[in-house]
Amino acid sequence: MSARECCPGSRTQVFGPKDDGSPQEEGGKRRSQLRQWPVQLHLVNPQAPYFEKADVLLAADCVAYAMGDFHKDYLSGKSLAIACPKLDSDQEIYIEKIKSLIDDSKINTLTVMIMQVPCCGGLLAIAKEGLKRAKRKIPLKYIVVSLQGEILKEEWVTE
Amino acid sequence: MEDISNMQVKEVISKYPGIGDILGSFGIGCVTCAAGSCLFREIVGIHSMPPEKEKELFDRIAAVLPSGVMFKRPAPSTARKREKDGGLKYSPPIKMLVDEHTKIKKLLALIPDILGSLDIEKENDRELIRSALYFIVNYADRFHHAKEEAILFDYADRDSSVIKVMLEDHDLGRSFVKGARQALESKDIDELKKNLEGYKGLLEEHIRKEDEILYPWIDRNLSDAQVGELFRKFSEADIKTDRNALAECLKFIDGLAGAPHAAPSKK
Repeated sequence: MSARECCPGSRTQVFGPKDDGSPQEEGGKRRSQLRQWPVQLHLVNPQAPYFEKADVLLAADCVAYAMGDFHKDYLSGKSLAIACPKLDSDQEIYIEKIKSLIDDSKINTLTVMIMQVPCCGGLLAIAKEGLKRAKRKIPLKYIVVSLQGEILKEEWVTE
Repeated sequence: MEDISNMQVKEVISKYPGIGDILGSFGIGCVTCAAGSCLFREIVGIHSMPPEKEKELFDRIAAVLPSGVMFKRPAPSTARKREKDGGLKYSPPIKMLVDEHTKIKKLLALIPDILGSLDIEKENDRELIRSALYFIVNYADRFHHAKEEAILFDYADRDSSVIKVMLEDHDLGRSFVKGARQALESKDIDELKKNLEGYKGLLEEHIRKEDEILYPWIDRNLSDAQVGELFRKFSEADIKTDRNALAECLKFIDGLAGAPHAAPSKK
């Protein structure tokens, strides 16, 4: 398979140094905004106390690496679950866990952060299916992140 | 030095008509607003323009003001959310209200036809007016406006002139409905038409202002947690509402034929 035909999710790309005027080095340490463990969706208990009535962030595995300020701008104030819709197995369990987060832990909102590659859309589909199966309804938002960490889209799902 | 910041916008436009033209050229339709009672300092903020466009607007307004007249430029809001691809869609709780507007607009669009063919002496015609008034009271007011007044407006500054105008619109609408009811009982066709046409004009403008200005303004400043909270409160209010009255209203409005389902201008 040539580079052109390769799946966008696994095609080799090299990003040059950024020169967008933003500071390259910042003084001091950033505090982690993570307030729980575990975080992987297979490992988390959807009825864990840190999910109760929480605003939950469901992020694709690659998101936190692509973004420079993931903790400060998106994780802060939220409980977290991470997953990969391309590589993870037993994704039916994911759907049931989303349903349980909504019905049992009565989460307040669910935000899904995915990469721009097509396979990542599967994570949003999982979230939508979990919401569809749940008895309660909650606001669902999705955010699409570019391979270099820019926000391409941020929308509430209203259909 | 005269400061116009805290003057009502209609007064500002009346004294300095060039400002009305400038606002209009930036898509701020205060000249055609029936009330015009928003304070000058608030109108730019709620329209949420990009900073560079906001600066251009302020520069042009400053240029047409005579010497000795000034206004305070508000600081750009730091709470504005990222807007790409034409801006955020309505959040789910705000979308609930916009969808309710669509049903109300269906009735408003039919009022001319209903009044045009009305025979006040016919019981069937009077019954149609009674049903329309029942919908206005129970759906538009007790179901929809009640959620705005009891819940939504807490997420804005209740002391702002914008919210005060919305509350005044609700009260004026109630007085039109009261007038229409009395006219129906006394079979006063002229008075009935005056009140229903007044209600139609008022609500169409009111809904346009909410869909295009007020709701996006409130929506932009909601955190994700507030969106979830608002959605829950609206859902709880819907559950507590008189289900029989709501079902009757939905049956009435969905059964009305021939009205255009005008889509809101912002999806």
